[in-house]
Amino acid sequence: MLDRALFELPKIKRILVALAVFAFFESLSILGLAWSLSSAVTNLWLGHHLMDQLIWILLLFASFMGIQAIRFLRDYMLDRYAFSCTDSLRQSLMHTIFSLGLEVVQRHGTGNTTTLLLEGIEQVETYLRLVLSKIVRLVVIPLVLLIAVFILDWISGIIMLIIFPFIILYMKLLGQMAGERAAHQHKEFQVLSNHFVDSLRGIDTLKFFGLSREFGKSIYAASERFRIATIKTLRIAILSSSVLDLFATLSVAAVAIMLGFRLLDESIVLFPALTVLILAPEYFKTIREFASDFHASLDGKNALGSIQKLIASYETSVSGPDEPGQSSATLPSWSQQTELAVDKLSLAFDEYEAVNNVSFAISGAQKVGVIGMSGAGKSTLIHLLGGFSTAAEGSIYVDGTVLTSANRASWQQQLAYLPQDPYVFHATLRENITFYYPEATDEEVAQAVAIVGLEDLVKDLSMGLDTKVGEGARSLSGGQAQRVALARICLDKKRSILLFDEPTAHLDIETELELKQRMLPLMQGKLVFFATHRLHWMHDMDHILVMDEGKIVGSGSFEELLTSNNSFASLVSQLGGGAS
Amino acid sequence: MSKPLNSALDNTLNSTPDSAPDNALDSTPNNSTASSMSREPAQKALHAAAKSTERRAGRARTKAGVKLWIAPFFKQYRGALALALFLGVCTFIFASALMVTSGYLISLAAEDPLNVALIFFPVALVRVFGIGKPILHYLERLTSHDWILRMTSSMRLKLYNILEKDAIFFKKRYRTGDILGILAEDIGHIQNLYLRTIFPTIVAWALYVLIICILGLFSLWFALCMALLLAVLVFLLPLVSMLVNGAHQTRRKVMKNALYEQVTDNVLGVNDWIISGRGSEYVQTYRSSEKALRKVDTRLNRSSRGRDLLLQALFALVVIALLMWAGSEFGGQYAGIGNWIAAFALAFFPLIDAFAPLSSAAIETNRHRDSIDRLGELRSQNGVEDYTGTLPQAPFVIESKQLAYKYPDGVRSVLDGLDLTIQPGEKLAILGRSGSGKSTFATLLRGDLTPTEGSVTINGIAPSLLGDQISHYIGVIQQQTYLFNTTLAENLRIGNQAASDEELWMALEQVGLKSLAERLPDGLETLVDEAGLRFSGGERHRIALARVLLHKVPIVILDEPTVGLDPVTEQALLDTIFETMRDKTIIMITHHLQGVSAMDRIIFIEEGKLTLSGSPEDLAQNNSYYQSLRAFDKGSLTQHSGN
Repeated sequence: MLDRALFELPKIKRILVALAVFAFFESLSILGLAWSLSSAVTNLWLGHHLMDQLIWILLLFASFMGIQAIRFLRDYMLDRYAFSCTDSLRQSLMHTIFSLGLEVVQRHGTGNTTTLLLEGIEQVETYLRLVLSKIVRLVVIPLVLLIAVFILDWISGIIMLIIFPFIILYMKLLGQMAGERAAHQHKEFQVLSNHFVDSLRGIDTLKFFGLSREFGKSIYAASERFRIATIKTLRIAILSSSVLDLFATLSVAAVAIMLGFRLLDESIVLFPALTVLILAPEYFKTIREFASDFHASLDGKNALGSIQKLIASYETSVSGPDEPGQSSATLPSWSQQTELAVDKLSLAFDEYEAVNNVSFAISGAQKVGVIGMSGAGKSTLIHLLGGFSTAAEGSIYVDGTVLTSANRASWQQQLAYLPQDPYVFHATLRENITFYYPEATDEEVAQAVAIVGLEDLVKDLSMGLDTKVGEGARSLSGGQAQRVALARICLDKKRSILLFDEPTAHLDIETELELKQRMLPLMQGKLVFFATHRLHWMHDMDHILVMDEGKIVGSGSFEELLTSNNSFASLVSQLGGGAS
Repeated sequence: MSKPLNSALDNTLNSTPDSAPDNALDSTPNNSTASSMSREPAQKALHAAAKSTERRAGRARTKAGVKLWIAPFFKQYRGALALALFLGVCTFIFASALMVTSGYLISLAAEDPLNVALIFFPVALVRVFGIGKPILHYLERLTSHDWILRMTSSMRLKLYNILEKDAIFFKKRYRTGDILGILAEDIGHIQNLYLRTIFPTIVAWALYVLIICILGLFSLWFALCMALLLAVLVFLLPLVSMLVNGAHQTRRKVMKNALYEQVTDNVLGVNDWIISGRGSEYVQTYRSSEKALRKVDTRLNRSSRGRDLLLQALFALVVIALLMWAGSEFGGQYAGIGNWIAAFALAFFPLIDAFAPLSSAAIETNRHRDSIDRLGELRSQNGVEDYTGTLPQAPFVIESKQLAYKYPDGVRSVLDGLDLTIQPGEKLAILGRSGSGKSTFATLLRGDLTPTEGSVTINGIAPSLLGDQISHYIGVIQQQTYLFNTTLAENLRIGNQAASDEELWMALEQVGLKSLAERLPDGLETLVDEAGLRFSGGERHRIALARVLLHKVPIVILDEPTVGLDPVTEQALLDTIFETMRDKTIIMITHHLQGVSAMDRIIFIEEGKLTLSGSPEDLAQNNSYYQSLRAFDKGSLTQHSGN
């Protein structure tokens, strides 16, 4: 349960010392409680007057509240500490995500990234609040209580001391087993609830085949089957936890009975016996509390691990080994004479298409078509060119300066990127359009809207440009989203490199035709990379790169390629054969 | 390690990470006020969102939720519930009795002189309670878990049956977020409510009554005093903390949800933030939102710490009251009846565990309220009655006359006077822009919607009358094929439950998946979602096709099945479809021209109306619009006229 990552937290030593002090005073208060209670009871038992016990009763109340006050202060301190730790963690994580961008999000998934940011950090906070004090209390409180018991009655002390390692051993041995079994249980239950969610998600498919009504019975049957199986395992699984319960309860009973018989022998008197009896449950309680909140701790521990790993991956990518060639903090601004050279670029993924040893050079304002089938490596190449992924091997040079993670930002501010489905933020249409250029004037926006053909949409919207669009509001069609993205590019005239990644692949043909006519003028005077499997775009490109299985298998103008390149010719016959 | 296991098991049963944004159902614009880029401080937006919750409507929904999802299950399983509660109460009685007898025992043993024979009875009792308590606890846990799981089965069935009636539209209506996953989790939340709130609360109430009764046997006035003191603990404090915290918790939840939406939105658009060079701007916005959230958190934490302090002070008072009462009742002489003093002084300590969680349990109800509301909102639709009239017989003619449809909340008609006759075995392609009404036509044809005006019929019978029987006539291949997380065979048998393995293999061969299936580790019995095995989009569609083939329907609707496939894969798939369905009526909804030349007829729908219709050859020769689209699509050299 100990987690090494904890000891790398800032100010951890001070916190641990403070916790130890808190725990020490907590144990003293527990002792005070036991002492005052037994004194009062013993005196009353001896027949003393109730009013004479007021001082003990006051001490009893004071100790009881002392325990609570210490816990109050401790929790307050931990609350603040956990927040300050997670706040800095949150900041680094945000910084990482919004600097590395797509690379992180693609690797971890949008859902996971968001969950890590919002839930993960909260779990770490809970974890810190729980685990630090639990560790310290386990060390301090039983020790102090044990010393007190030894002073009061060394025989009881020995019993409790002997039981302690026994319980720890038991926790270690059975805990592991129980943990595994619990994990197994958890998995089994997950299977069941997944089965249920699975059926719900596929409910329309079932309906299409007329099976949906019958299927309810099978859901119930499966659920019941799992219940019976689960209860069977639970019988054993809960048993091991009950054994620990039995240990603690029996120890109290054993202490009581043993004390009873020794009282008979008059080898002990009532006061110490009663005190020991009050202290014994507290002693075992600390141990049992240590093992509580297992899942919260586990989640927090895992979240802390993932977050630290993610942040570390960013730090290595920034301070990673320097690429060969001339490196500098900013890349030259692109001009009509700039040469972009790609040298032996390679990148392989497990799942994504890869690029394999790609080299080419392009200078000046050119429209470069990248054509190939799905999986040929077009998207990966575009991502590499945009600096959204880092190549495993090879480099990209802008007028001889190598693109590195250090100067990536200055490169990215010169380019615009149009993916297959551009993201429309949940914000007003105006904010979406002016995303790259927030200071745009109304006239500029109106002009851009006209150029990309969004006037109809603006007219349709209840509040025109100030209507909220995107998820959860008015959602835009694929074609409209493309137009919004085009308008962004259109407004920010500083961006002179355009990267297109299958922008029209999933649009209906009539929209595609119209958008093409809007897009082409925007490409004038810019360096354009246009990845697609739609052949008709190639007529409008100055230069074409033909890709197949991550390699460039053809390079040249449309006419050149058509006459001299077999790969291109076969691609044309494959792709052009749509209507035949 | 008892607790890890306990909590692991609890988690097992209540595996409902609160990670999903809670308000996926409320996807109306005014509920999601927080915007990433809004120039006003995010804090303001978050506050506004918090205020916009409509309380009254919420209360009605909660009532409905309780009535539908809590009360009936309480009744249905009252036997098991009563047993679990009985065991739960007994566990605490034994724990308390252990301390009472122990206290009495050592007091008795300390007496001088003492009749030794007297001590054996309390010793026996200590043993009984010491051993009995863990055993009772064990049985209680087993019973309550069994009870919860039984209830879950019934709740699942109920949820499924409600959703089933509305299956086709449910997913479409809540396109954003995984609403179905969230509803499934809501059931988990209700389990939590039972296990963590209802159950411990009832146990505590029962103990409360019991304590008062026992004390009443000794002294009426003291029992009354304790009844008042404990009532503060058992009723007042939980109620107050529920009300006080409720508002903060609601606010926190609204803020958290808004933040969830905001972060998801911006993480999805992260590339744009980076390219625009404004990434740090968002990081700042996010920080201020987090700070606002932290403020609420601080308040919640402070109030929960304060509540705990008060709670403990009350416990201290109870212990002291018991001690002082026992002192005055049994004190005044040496030992004898005074042995009871220690017994009473110690009795309450184990019961603290029963009463302490009440306030947080009460607060917990606020957290689960959303789930209850959401489930309470589900209205069970009236199911279609089984069709008893004459069934349409082959050959099937589909006819639509002046067909019009307007969505209840729509402004204009999606379909607006569509006349169309589809002959048996005809292959029809429907083209049109998105939103032109192509898919609505398919939905009307399957009878999942009924026309607002005009009619669509199969051999003169309106499909909406046929209910589930329609599945014998029309098969659908959707844009995305859903594969159930089970074996390939089971996935195929969705098409025909009675199909033999040979039939499955035959279907696989027809759709060109035989060799792939043969390479699978367990053949037909391979789980489709097992790690490392993922069917591509084209392959999934082929499985859908095999299902339809096994289902043996005469009419098949292809609803843009090739979106997202590259042209070569797409053409190969279409070739397979046309080849295997030569004798069926095919209605293909598509957004481009791939494959349409193999059809008998192409129609274009524009704004709900039929704008163009003819055979591919005819259109290619005589219609200039179609010609221009075709030329554009083929992108061939000869027809390139420049832009």
